[in-house]
Parts: sequence; C-alpha cells; structure tokens
Amino acid sequence: MPAGGITFHGVCKTFSGRGKTIEALRDFTLSCPSGSFTAIIGPSGCGKSTAMRVALGLEGADKGAVLIEDREPLDATRAGLTGVAFQDAALLPWRSVRENVEVPLEVLKKKVRDFAPDVQHLIELVGLKGYENALPGELSGGMRQRVAIARALVTRPRVLFMDEPFGALDQILRRQMNFELQRIWQESQATAFLVTHGIDEAVFLADRIAVMSANPGRLAVVIDVPFERPRKPELFSDPAFHALCDKVAEVLHGGQ
Amino acid sequence: MAGSKQWAVPLRNIAILLLIWEVVGRLDLIADGALPGISEILIGLWNDRSDYPLHVWETLKASGLGFVIGNLLGVVAGVFFVLIPMSLRVFRGLNIAIFALPPIAIAPILSLTLSGLTPRVVLAALGCYFVTMTATVIGLSQSDSRAADLIRVYGGGNWLIMRMVQFRSALPSILSGLRVAAPNAVLGAILAEFGGGGRWGLGAYLLGSLGRAEPERLWGIGVVATLIAGLAYGVFALMSHRFVGASRAVTMNMSVPEKAGDGSSSPVSSLLAGAMAVLLPFLFWWAFIRLLEVPAMISKTPIGVVEYLFFSPAAQSAQERLIAALWETLPITGVGLVCGLSFAFALAISSRLFPGFLRAFMPVALVTQTMPLVALTPLLVLLLGRGTSLTLWVTISVTFFPAFVILAQGISMVPRATRELAMAYGASAWQELRIITVPASMPYLFAATRLTVPRALLGVMIAEWLATGKGLGNLLNQSRGYMDYGMIWTVAALSVILAVVFYQLVVVVERRVLQRMGMSTAE
Repeated sequence: MPAGGITFHGVCKTFSGRGKTIEALRDFTLSCPSGSFTAIIGPSGCGKSTAMRVALGLEGADKGAVLIEDREPLDATRAGLTGVAFQDAALLPWRSVRENVEVPLEVLKKKVRDFAPDVQHLIELVGLKGYENALPGELSGGMRQRVAIARALVTRPRVLFMDEPFGALDQILRRQMNFELQRIWQESQATAFLVTHGIDEAVFLADRIAVMSANPGRLAVVIDVPFERPRKPELFSDPAFHALCDKVAEVLHGGQ
Repeated sequence: MAGSKQWAVPLRNIAILLLIWEVVGRLDLIADGALPGISEILIGLWNDRSDYPLHVWETLKASGLGFVIGNLLGVVAGVFFVLIPMSLRVFRGLNIAIFALPPIAIAPILSLTLSGLTPRVVLAALGCYFVTMTATVIGLSQSDSRAADLIRVYGGGNWLIMRMVQFRSALPSILSGLRVAAPNAVLGAILAEFGGGGRWGLGAYLLGSLGRAEPERLWGIGVVATLIAGLAYGVFALMSHRFVGASRAVTMNMSVPEKAGDGSSSPVSSLLAGAMAVLLPFLFWWAFIRLLEVPAMISKTPIGVVEYLFFSPAAQSAQERLIAALWETLPITGVGLVCGLSFAFALAISSRLFPGFLRAFMPVALVTQTMPLVALTPLLVLLLGRGTSLTLWVTISVTFFPAFVILAQGISMVPRATRELAMAYGASAWQELRIITVPASMPYLFAATRLTVPRALLGVMIAEWLATGKGLGNLLNQSRGYMDYGMIWTVAALSVILAVVFYQLVVVVERRVLQRMGMSTAE
C-alpha cells in the first residue's frame, strides 16, 4: 500500500566483529505515516542508529526492506527526498555556516546559486542571521547544531532523519532547541524520524514513540502521544506530560 | 607578553650555546682544534665563497626535482591506497622497503644503472615518497567519518567524499609530511653525490674535502647543508601552521576507524595479498633492471644475486667476506640503537619532572632533525677519530634526536586529568612517572623504535664507509673500487632486507605488547 513516509518491513541486521556477532536489528517493522513525527528510543546498543542508517542506505539490510516515500533508500536519498542531522553537528570546519548548509546541494549537483534565498531563509529560521560567514570553530555548540538542522532542511526533504541531534547539548539548551525544532518541523511539513536517548525530548516532540529493547535489537512497543500542537514549553511541567514520561520509562526499564 | 617570552628562552639558550662554542673553538680546546670557533667557520665560508654556488646549485637541483617527483608519487599513491584499501596490503612490502632501505646502500647501484643527475633525483625522491605517502594515508583516513556519511547520505560516492571532505581535511597532515620530506630530499641528494662520484654537489665537495686537514671547510659544508634542509623544513612548517587553523575538527570524532579489510576478506585473498607484499619488491627490482636494459655484467637481478652468492666460483670468498662484515656491523648497530633509545627515553621521561629543560632542549633537538647526517659524520670523525667509538656515536646521535622528539611529544599528550588523578591521591612525582607516564608512553617508545631502526643501520654504514673501514659500509665501498658488481648488489639487497626484517620484528613485538596493554599504536 503506497503510503509515503517511512516503512520498515521485517528488517534484520547482524554485525560480526572479532569472533562475536551482534544482532543489531531483529525483524524490525515500523511505519511512520507521511507528515508524522516519530521518536525512537531505547537503551544503548539497541539498534536505533542502525535502523536509521539502514533507512538512509548507509548500511544494507540482511533481510527485509525499508521504503522511503515508496522508494528504495538509495533511490530516495539520491533524489534528494531525505534530510539528515547526525548525533554531532559534523560540520566541515573549513567551510563557513552558509557553505556548510550548501553541502547537500553540491552533492546533489544542484546549482547552489538558485537556492541562495532558501539558504538565507533557513539560516534565519534557525536563528543564525548575521553568522552566515562565520566558521564552525567560532560558534557555540548549540549554534553548530542549528547549522546542522538548517543543512538537513536545505533540500526541502520529504523525510527528515535526526540521530540524537541535541545529544551534546546541556539540558537547558536542549529544551530550547526542542521547542525550536518543533516550529521548524511544522513549517517544513516533512515526515520526521528522531533517534534519541532523552525521554522528555521524545514525549515533547513526537506523535508516536517507538520503544526498542536491546540484545537483539527489536521493537518493544509503540506509544502514542496525544498532546495538542503546537506544544508550548509549559508542557514540560504538565502532570500529564510527566505521567507519559513515566510510562515510557517503565517500558524502557521493565524491558517488557 | 607570554608569546614573546616563549621565544625569548630558547633564543637565549641558543645564544649561550653559540657563545660557548665560539670560546671553546677559538681556544682549540677540543681534539686539537677539530672544533673551530663559529667566527672561524664563517671566515672559512667566506674564503671558499667561490666554490659554493655551483655545489649548492647542483644539490638544490637534484633535491628539488626529487622532492617534487617523490611527493607527487607519495600523494597519488596515498589517495590510491585509501580508495582501494586492499592495495595498501599488497604494497606493504614495497612501502616498508622504501622506508627502511639505507640510501647509502643503493646509491652505488643507482649510479651504476642510471646516469647524470638521475641517481640523485631518485634517491631524493625515495626519501620523500614514504613520508608523504604515509602522511596522506593517515590524513585521508582520519578525516571525519561523520562528514563522509553526510556526503554519502545525499548519494555522493567515494570520489566525491575524497574531493569534498577527505582531501581538504588531510591537507595539514600532508603539509607536515612535506615538512619532514624536505630535509630528506636534501639528504638523499647528498648521499647520492657521495656514493656516485661526480664533480659538483655538496656531497662531492664534502668527499673531496675529507682528506684535507681543514676542519673549517667541513664544518662550513655541514652548516650550509643544514641551512638548506632547515630552510626547506621551515617553509613547510609555516605553511602547515597556517592551514591547521581552519581544519582542526571542532569536536572529537569518537567512532572507531574502519580497519582495511578486517574480517571482510576471505583467508585466500588475504594470503594472496601477503604473498604479493613479499614478492612485489623483488618484482620491482627485476623490472627496474629489465626496463633499463643495463648489461647483465653490471646489473644483477634477484636471481643473479643468489647465483653470485651461492653458485659462482667466487661464492665461498663472497660468503666469508659478507659474514665477516655482518659480524662487524650488526652488534654495533644494536648497541648504538639501544643506547640512543635509552638516552632518549630517560631524557624524555625526566623532562616531565623538569619541564623547563624540555622547553630549552626541544628547539635544539628539532634543529638536528634537519641536519643531514652525512654531513655530521666527518665532523664526528674530526672530534672522535676513526675508531669504533665513532661508529657508536654516529649511531647514537642519529637515533637519539628523532626518538627524543617522538617520545617527548608523545608524553606531553598524556591527558592532564590522568596525571592529576595520581597527584590528587598524593602521589610523588616518581610514583606518577611509574604508574602513569611510563606506561602511557609505551606506544611512543615503539613508534620511536620503528622509526630509528633503519636510521641506526644507515648511520653505522655511513660511518663504516667514510671512516672506520669496517663492516657492510666498507664492503660496499671496497666493492665499488674493485668493480665487484655481484658484491655491490648483494650488500645493497642484504642491507635492505635486514632493515625490513628488523622493522617487521619491531612491529610484531609492538602489536603483541600493546594489545596486551590494551593500547593502540602511535603514528
């Protein structure tokens, strides 16, 4: 059934290291409807990042398949349908903010000049107006992460992948960035796929939370998040918010 | 303020050193005037001023050309090895051979088979190739793997990653490779001038001045050679300093670098690669001779050498001479290496206790890195005579300084928090050394050993050739005089094989020990 968004169908992936084999994903099935925001959470080594890497075509699946907007991963990435922000900003240190945002355009062989207004708009959207020509080394951690978000959005992706994009930030900055990410994502209307360690981050941002368990990495349960959008920072102190966080934590720690 | 002070201390120390040198030299206190005062050396330089331009020009021409060719090859090979990881294994034997070969051993071969400027250019290029190739491979493969993922996610291939990420981020590493390669090119050219005859070039000038009782001239040549090498080093040091600023990674890349073909290739193909690695150097040797079409009498293929050494009428005498020479060369190489390394280790470790000493000594140690050691030997002959102690001191001095630089820099990289942890529990400076600094410096001790093993052999052979009249170096020199081509090729091949075997031994021990200690090798 053509549904758009992201669908994982029975994906298996095993890594063999020195004499050991690690089952990173076993029969992983999940579908993220078009335009939805899915957070994926689980203990270290449960295969969350692997799921994302398979979806991006960085790793091949041993079994099963992933479809992005009803296309093969490599097909979709080459068509510029995806945007990605990694765990760490991964900026090229010798390129300015603007040039870093333009990297995906260059790889996709687009005329960078045609996108100049888009790039400028994105830099403003993530609140970096005035820093267009700064080098990453001159920015703070939060600012670098925002460059990475702008870069992920520059191709106007249909699907946006994020692997702990705020993992390196402190709690205060992180909440601020969560709030901004919601705004940016709503404006982009893309399907979002967020890999995270932070329970509150997942509950605040996502429509649905996919909880995973480790050894072997598999999907434990999917929890729906009912809160209205746009969600406000006050939500962080709402009792209902905490109740849902506790529920996610229970599934995580109970290892159900 | 702090910046100017940093410069002032070493400058002051160097000034004091020069002053002592001048006084001692003027008063002829050392070895009956074998160490002239600085002013005397300068006067000597002025008196010989008409000789220098042509000699210097010849050396510059050969080393400059060799520098360009060797580095081009190095960068191209480095890119190739990174794009096709398997090839790194196939070429491993050849790469180690090029790194470890004592240039003095193949200088006579090159001048037998090539003509004109070519042997000098080839030897200079060989001195550059390995350094730059390694720097390129390390620089390219240490580039940010997350940035490479980013390019791949948008459908970019290996070539695009190379162009957009890896090459640019490898630039500082490549430039620092060029920095080390520059003095190597000068050394290679001078060694070839030495072993190849010819009228012009600093090496030829040095050789011609050896027999004369003019210490000022030998020192003058040494100073000029060091200046050329030092200037070349300085230019690239400055360039790499400028570049490093923009491309230092903003955050630490924590992902484990992928090992080339680790576990992914079948045992058959890795066996094949290993066999190729051993065979390739010999194939190159054979192809070199075939392509040049040198008469068979002068040039020996690998088979020719085996024939000469085992089946020819002269085989028995050749074997005896070779074994006698080995017995003279090997022990002193070992002793010199161990002494040089131990001095370096002791000094680097104790410099931890006296940081002021390190700051004062490091610039001196760095200057000696650019000093062409062939120019150093005649000076040591002047000071020490032509006995065994000369060989020992040459060997120690060529191993000590590079080992010290690696060790001191390695030890300075031990994280401060680790040391402070020991201090926080009231450890004395000695305890801290024993528990933390010494074990932490093991990777650098091995790296230093790997680097200096071939240098030790080279140092011994140069001393034997120039001064003591013993061992492999002398056998090579003598065979040149007797036109005993079989022996020239045999000694050259044997010394390259010895250097490779020693190197490989160190690598094996290093892997075992570091694996047990849970550490990884230092580059």
